[in-house]
Amino acid sequence: MYNNMGPQPGMPMHQGIPQPGMPMHPAIPQPSPFGNPFSGPGSGLIRSGLGAYGEKIFGSSSEYVQSNISRYFSDPQYYFQVNDQYVRNKLKIVLFPFLHRGHWTRISEPVGGRLSYKPPIYDINAPDLYIPLMAFGTYVVLAGLSLGLYGKFSPEALNWLFVKGMVGWFLQVMLLKISLLSLGSGEAPLLDIVAYAGYTFTGLCLAVLGKIIWGYSYYVLIPWTCLCTGVFLVKTMKPVLFAEARSYDSSRHHYLLIFVALAQFPLLIWLGNISVNWLF
Amino acid sequence: MTKDFAVPPVVFPTGGSSGGANVQQRRFAPIPFQQPPPSSSSQIPFLSFNMGSAAASSATQAGPFGGTISSSSSFGGGSPSFEDEEPLLDELGIHPDQIWKKTRSILNPFRINQTVHKDSDLSGPIFLYLALCLFQLLAGKIQFGVILGWIVVSSIFLYVVFNMLAGRNGNLNLHTCTSLVGYCLLPVVVLSAVSLFVPQGAGVVKYVLAGVFVLWSTRACSTLVVSLADGGEEHRGLIAYACFLIYTLFSLLVIF
Repeated sequence: MYNNMGPQPGMPMHQGIPQPGMPMHPAIPQPSPFGNPFSGPGSGLIRSGLGAYGEKIFGSSSEYVQSNISRYFSDPQYYFQVNDQYVRNKLKIVLFPFLHRGHWTRISEPVGGRLSYKPPIYDINAPDLYIPLMAFGTYVVLAGLSLGLYGKFSPEALNWLFVKGMVGWFLQVMLLKISLLSLGSGEAPLLDIVAYAGYTFTGLCLAVLGKIIWGYSYYVLIPWTCLCTGVFLVKTMKPVLFAEARSYDSSRHHYLLIFVALAQFPLLIWLGNISVNWLF
Repeated sequence: MTKDFAVPPVVFPTGGSSGGANVQQRRFAPIPFQQPPPSSSSQIPFLSFNMGSAAASSATQAGPFGGTISSSSSFGGGSPSFEDEEPLLDELGIHPDQIWKKTRSILNPFRINQTVHKDSDLSGPIFLYLALCLFQLLAGKIQFGVILGWIVVSSIFLYVVFNMLAGRNGNLNLHTCTSLVGYCLLPVVVLSAVSLFVPQGAGVVKYVLAGVFVLWSTRACSTLVVSLADGGEEHRGLIAYACFLIYTLFSLLVIF
């Protein structure tokens, strides 16, 4: 339904569309701030490309460490392959999940013998880390603005708001992770879960913005946000849960999903209540 | 104008003929405000400050300045006259004309000259940081540490976001990023100066002004970042939003 790329990706890439995450040619990769392109799905291609130097570059111990890290922490580069159109469409999905007519499953493609998902540019259902990061930053800035409008702004208060936001994100990640673990397997990549958890900040920003513009709109926007976030998380976690779970106990799945949706209410109300002391 | 100190001339052994002994000798720096001596190293009729020299009398009269002058000049190897010493600002790496050129390029909000920012430096941002802190101080807020911390954090944030978005060919380095974030703080400095004169009750004026200056900053920073580092052209809007967040944060400090 959402086509983020103008022409089809099968055509030769003349238009300067960024390459997908798996390198198609074994170029020497640029150093990236976190993680490295040697872990993750493209690592096999890079290693074969480097050929004889592969063994020298990866000493035996560092390869062990890298393979372990790649098990827990997938390549963050994948989550930042976004463009304007993707961001706009994804925001529409997160804020109004009822209106999304398409399917919610991620498109997977076989790469190097393993099954991996298409990067966010090609697939509207893929999680990305750009929107959560920006939404978190917007939340902190808007919360500071709202504090200032009530006369209570100070840099320390902003630091506490940052901490509060981080704790909220962490709690959301824990919620999703525990619901995955309780079904027996928690093998979804951690960054995926961090990304899904971070999408709640978009709705939260909307609520805080509403509070700034007109005080009473907050009481309408917060339930709306909780509902939308709940629906979005349920619809997103459903394929993940059903893919990861071993036993097919469908009633337990549904209870867990309903619990995830209901837990959004206290979490978002806590996060949306912007005050100087960060507990409540 | 220049006064010669009334000290007996000190004659050093002539080690200047052989190259090996030259290395052993420390470089002789003249006393400031004295006439430069004739450039024969054998008979030096002035008092020279040598770190390990046998001229103890010179050391006592040199005082605290002696060690510094000879230590700084012992790294150079040239002739010992005063004019050949590097000027202080050059040695520190501060080029005021370059700083002024870069600052002036941001002053015009509609056309930003990108070539002048190609080599990044951090001394301009330090001046702008001090100016911002000064204006905040005049407004009664002591926020030196806060602003410095926020500059560091926001430049790391922009560095991470840009390099992640640009992917394999992103080559923004942290020094350039900090330099750009610092220089584009200029509109925020102007905002803090202007908001000193806005009357107390007119809150809306402050917000409107802040909006204008933040947009100016954002435009400058995103244009410069995209043009100075590869890989950012497709993501202009996304990077501009990150810059917008950064400068809104600073403007919050100024308004409230």
